[in-house]
Amino acid sequence: MTRSRGRLLRTLVRTAGLLLFGIWTVVPLYWIIVTAIKPNLLIYREASLFPSQITGDHFAFVLTQTPFLHYIQNSLVVTLVTTTLAMAIGTLAAYAIVRLAFTGRPWVARAVVVTYLVPGSLLFIPMFQVIYSLGLIDNIVGLMVTYLTFTVPFATWMMIGYFRNVPSELEDAALIDGCSRVQALARIMVPIALPALAVVALFAFTLSWNEFLYALVFIGSDSQKTLTVGLIGLVRGDTFPWGPMMAASLMGTIPPALVYVISQRWVVSGLAAGSVKG
Amino acid sequence: MTGGSLGRVQPTDLVGTRFGGVSPATVRLRHLLGRDWATAWLFLAPCLLVLVGLIGYPFFSAILLSFQAKLVGSPAVWVGLGNYQDLFTGRDLSGQFWQSVRVTLLFTLSALVCKFVLGLAMALLLNENFRGRSVLRALFFLPWAVPSLIVGLTWKWMYDGSAEGLLNLLALRLGLTHDLIQWLANYDLALWAVVVAVVWASTPFWAMMFLAGLQAIPGELYEAAEIDGADVFGRFLHITLPGLGNIILITAMLSSIWTATSINFVYVLTNGGPAGATMTFPMLAYQVGVAGAQRLGMGATISLVFTPVFMVLIYFLTKRMLASDR
Repeated sequence: MTRSRGRLLRTLVRTAGLLLFGIWTVVPLYWIIVTAIKPNLLIYREASLFPSQITGDHFAFVLTQTPFLHYIQNSLVVTLVTTTLAMAIGTLAAYAIVRLAFTGRPWVARAVVVTYLVPGSLLFIPMFQVIYSLGLIDNIVGLMVTYLTFTVPFATWMMIGYFRNVPSELEDAALIDGCSRVQALARIMVPIALPALAVVALFAFTLSWNEFLYALVFIGSDSQKTLTVGLIGLVRGDTFPWGPMMAASLMGTIPPALVYVISQRWVVSGLAAGSVKG
Repeated sequence: MTGGSLGRVQPTDLVGTRFGGVSPATVRLRHLLGRDWATAWLFLAPCLLVLVGLIGYPFFSAILLSFQAKLVGSPAVWVGLGNYQDLFTGRDLSGQFWQSVRVTLLFTLSALVCKFVLGLAMALLLNENFRGRSVLRALFFLPWAVPSLIVGLTWKWMYDGSAEGLLNLLALRLGLTHDLIQWLANYDLALWAVVVAVVWASTPFWAMMFLAGLQAIPGELYEAAEIDGADVFGRFLHITLPGLGNIILITAMLSSIWTATSINFVYVLTNGGPAGATMTFPMLAYQVGVAGAQRLGMGATISLVFTPVFMVLIYFLTKRMLASDR
C-alpha cells in the first residue's frame, strides 16, 4: 500500500520535473523559430505567441540582402582549417607524451593541461598585439591562428587520454620489425584512435564555430567576418531587426546542432571525461 | 605519468641494432635527455610552438604591457605601477573597477549555485527509468550546442522592454503586471536577467557531468541503504552527494573559470550597463582596452589583476585532472 503510493508519488514528481525542464529548454528555442517565420506584423504590432501566418521573407532577406552566406563561408573555412591543424598537432604531441621516453615529459603534460584551462578572455589584449605584429588583423588567417590556442591543448589532452589506453604491445611488434616511429603512429595508432579523433573534431568544430570574442576584437570588415560577429553586424544603430536576426540565428545554429544530434552519445561521454569547455 | 622508468635509458637500448655504433657523447646525451628525445621534441614542436608562442608569450607580454601606457598604433610609455595605482585608487577608473569586482563575484557565484541545483535536478531526473528518456536527454542538452552569442541574442529579444518581448507579452497576458518591465535596463534586474540566460546555456554541461557521475555510483549501495531503512533523502545525502563529490568540485572549478571570464552574454545583453550593473571584469577590460579609448596597457592590467584567482583554480584543477588520468 505505502509502497505503491511511494511509487506513484515518485512518478508524479518525476513527470512534473521533466515537464518544467521541458518548458524551460523549449521556450527560447521556440521563440527563435517562431520569430524567424512570422511576418513583421505578427512580430511587432500584433505580437502573437502562435502565429496564424508564416513567411519565408526573413530568410530570403538574410540570404540575399546581407553577406550572411559569406559569413558562413568564412566560419566554415576557419573552423575546418583550425580543426584539421589541431588534430594533427594534438595527435603528434600526445603520442610523444604517452609513448616516447624523454626528459621533461611530466612538465610538458602539465603545460598542456594548464594551457587548456587558461581562458581566452584573459589573453585577448596581448593576443591582439601578437596578431597585429604578424600583420593578421582583420584577416581570417589571424582567427585560424588564434583558435589554435584553445583547440590544440584540448586535442592534445583528449588524445593523451586515448593513447594511454592503447596497449603498447601493438606497436612494439611493428617497431621491432623496423618501422619508424612515424610509420608506427600513422599505420597503427591513428587507425585505432579514429573514434577519439572524431570526438576531437566535433569539439574543435563546435568551439571554433561558436567563438566570438577574438573575432570581435580582430575582425572589422565584412569580407572577413565569421558568423558570430556577422550576426552582430546585422544590428542597425540601436534597432534590432528581430525577424532577420532570428532567421540568421536559426541558420547559424543548425550546423553545431546537427553535429550534436548526430554524435550525441560521444558528446556526452567526451564531456564527462571532464575535458571540454561548456 | 605512467612508469617513470621509461624516462631512463635501459641497457638493452644501447645494444639495439638500430642504434649500433654510437659514440660515448651520444650515449651521454641520450642518458641526459631520454631515450627518444630527438623524435619526441620533433613531434612536440608544433604543439609547443602554440603553447609557448600563442599562450605563454602573450601572457608574459601582458605583464609587460601592464607597466606601460599604450594606445593602439602608438609607441608605449613605461609607467611602472601607474596603471595599477590608477585602477585601485585613481579618480576615473577605480570606481568602475571595484564595481566590476563586486559584479563579477555576484555574477559568478549566483550562476554557479543555480547551475549546480538545476544541473543536479536535471541529472537525477534523467537518471530515472522512463520511456523516451534518450529523446528528452537529447532535448535537454540541446542548449549546449547553441552558440552562446545566439543564446544571448535570443534572450535579449525575449527580454525586450516593449510589449513585443516574450516575457512582457506573457506577463501582460497573464495579468501579472500592468507596466512594461525593463528587464535589461533596470539597475536591480539586469544582472539577474543575464544570470538566467547564462544558466539556461550552461546547465546542460553540469547535468552531463552529474549524469556520468551518477551512473558510476554502484547500484548495490542504494539497495543496501534501502534494506537498512534509509529513505529517499537519506540515500541522497549519504550516497548520491558523496559519490558525486569529486565531480561537483571539478565542475564547479571549471565552470567558475569559464563563467567569470566569458564576455559573450554580457556583451550582447547589456554591454555592461545600465550604469555598470552588469560590468564584469572581462567586459571592463574590453571597453577600456579595445572598444573606446583603446588603452591596451590598462586593459591588460584589468585582466591581470584577476589572474591570480584563476591561477589558483587552475593549479588545483591540473592536479586533479592529471591524477584522475593516471
